[in-house]
Amino acid sequence: MIQLHNVSMSYQAEIPALTDVNLKIPKGDFVFLTGQSGAGKSTLLKLLYADLIPTRGQVLIDGVNLGRLKRSQIPLLRRSIGVVFQDYKLLPQRTVLENVAITLEVLGWGKRDIGKKVFHILKQMGLEDKLNSTPLRLSGGEQQRVALARALVNDPKILIADEPTGNLDEENKEQILSIFKEANIRGTTVLVATHDRRVIENSHRRVIHLEKGRVREVTDVQG
Amino acid sequence: MSRANKTVRPKFAREGFFGRLSYFSARALANLRQNVFVSIVTVGTISLALLIAALFLLVYVNLEGMALGWSDKVQVTAYFDREPSPLAVSALKGQVKALPGTAKVVFVSQADAEKRLRSRLKGQESLLEGITPEVLPASLEISLDRSHRESAQVASYVSALRRIQGITEVQYGEEWVQRFNSFMNLFRLMGALLGSFLALTVLFIVSNTIKLTIYARREELELLGLVGATRLFIKAPFLIEGVLQGALGAVLSLLALFACYYAFLENAGSFLGVNPAAAGLCFLPLPHLAAILGGGVLLGFIGSLTSLRRFVHL
Ligand SMILES: Nc1ncnc2c1ncn2[C@@H]1O[C@H](COP(=O)(O)OP(=O)(O)OP(=O)(O)O)[C@@H](O)[C@H]1O
Ligand SMILES: [Mg+2]
Repeated sequence: MIQLHNVSMSYQAEIPALTDVNLKIPKGDFVFLTGQSGAGKSTLLKLLYADLIPTRGQVLIDGVNLGRLKRSQIPLLRRSIGVVFQDYKLLPQRTVLENVAITLEVLGWGKRDIGKKVFHILKQMGLEDKLNSTPLRLSGGEQQRVALARALVNDPKILIADEPTGNLDEENKEQILSIFKEANIRGTTVLVATHDRRVIENSHRRVIHLEKGRVREVTDVQG
Repeated sequence: MSRANKTVRPKFAREGFFGRLSYFSARALANLRQNVFVSIVTVGTISLALLIAALFLLVYVNLEGMALGWSDKVQVTAYFDREPSPLAVSALKGQVKALPGTAKVVFVSQADAEKRLRSRLKGQESLLEGITPEVLPASLEISLDRSHRESAQVASYVSALRRIQGITEVQYGEEWVQRFNSFMNLFRLMGALLGSFLALTVLFIVSNTIKLTIYARREELELLGLVGATRLFIKAPFLIEGVLQGALGAVLSLLALFACYYAFLENAGSFLGVNPAAAGLCFLPLPHLAAILGGGVLLGFIGSLTSLRRFVHL
């Protein structure tokens, strides 16, 4: 369960990126976050993995107030959340395999277990031919899938994806969406920020619409 | 509980101190390999900086050694009014040796003194006519320990010497001792000033080089934090990397230093006109070498630690 109570966030004084946001996202939900460029989507997502701390209000995940976490507790929170960053954040000197393995190395997994698990998920993503390429040699869509694999490889409780279908063609979008759906079926709460109307309309999920840092409407199109 | 949370986690492979250390070291080596160019630049900078410091140290150590060598000539001479009997000589020598600060005692008999005078005045023997050994006094020539050459110490030594029966006159180069001591103090002060200036420069250069290499990899540091790595997990490989680079840099600088030293020994004779081996030149003693190695390791470690603080905000 993700809860936001009266959350406001400003990077610089007087210019709020988020204003008075109240939200409740139950466990196992699949939610889209939309809004124009600059509406505050990325900002809201960053609050969830404690990359930002709200200027006012509280962010709670499973009842834990993130503003109250000690610095040493933040890693534990982040291990339960998989994030696909808007700019991917793939490490250019490391191979696809190594990039995805990072998530598991951080958890202290052994080499062989990591190898098996990473290979398995990369195969799911259709990247089994690219294991030893570096990210710069991949297409945009392939890079996106590597980022997704890294976010999903340890079966996180929550998956956060910031504009994951950015530069993809229809076919690739479909593939990515179906990966989200599978993860959701396995129990992961999924939260996707996008301004791609088409993706949202086709998926029939709950949509949170942000406008200039405020929640304008929450449409429930499920079913 | 969602199903995702119930997945069976594999056994952790790197438990315990050594398991983690080996993982972090492997990571550090992989990083070195993946950033060959940057690593070479860092190691090169560290070794050049340390080489300069080590050259300074080598010159300083040799100059100090030479200066102390000169001061071996600081001598005190005690004269007797009558030639003591051989038995008395050994008793007197024993008494003088018992004084704190005595390094060496040599007895010069009247006959020895005459012989010396003769050899010094070779060719002008006419001057020696009428001089018999009895005219010249017998004496003890005493050299002092290095630790007892301060002028105050020499003075108290001399007064102790005067109290010994049979010694009538004591001569020592008071002025010379004082001048030499103030020279040594100035020399050490200059050495300390220059040395600390040099050490600061080395610290500055090395820490900035490391800061640049870590800055170049801030994305990696950021990402590790975002996927839930602990502070230790993020920093340890970088610290090990820093230590390895520091140690490697130090070893290279010592090799280069030895090469410089050897080349100097080989060639100094031809342009200085002295035999460097006879001049008592020496390489740095082992403790100094160990200190340079330790300095390199410390530089790498502290340089990495302070730079990491700038980029890891966990
Ligand atoms: N690091 C930052 N420092 C200062 N202002 C920021 C920073 N990041 C975002 N902002 C500002 O906060 C507001 C919201 O930005 P945010 O990145 O959340 O928008 P977004 O909805 O994700 O946009 P996009 O769809 O383009 O990714 C914008 O006005 C932006 O200029
Ligand atoms: Mg954004």
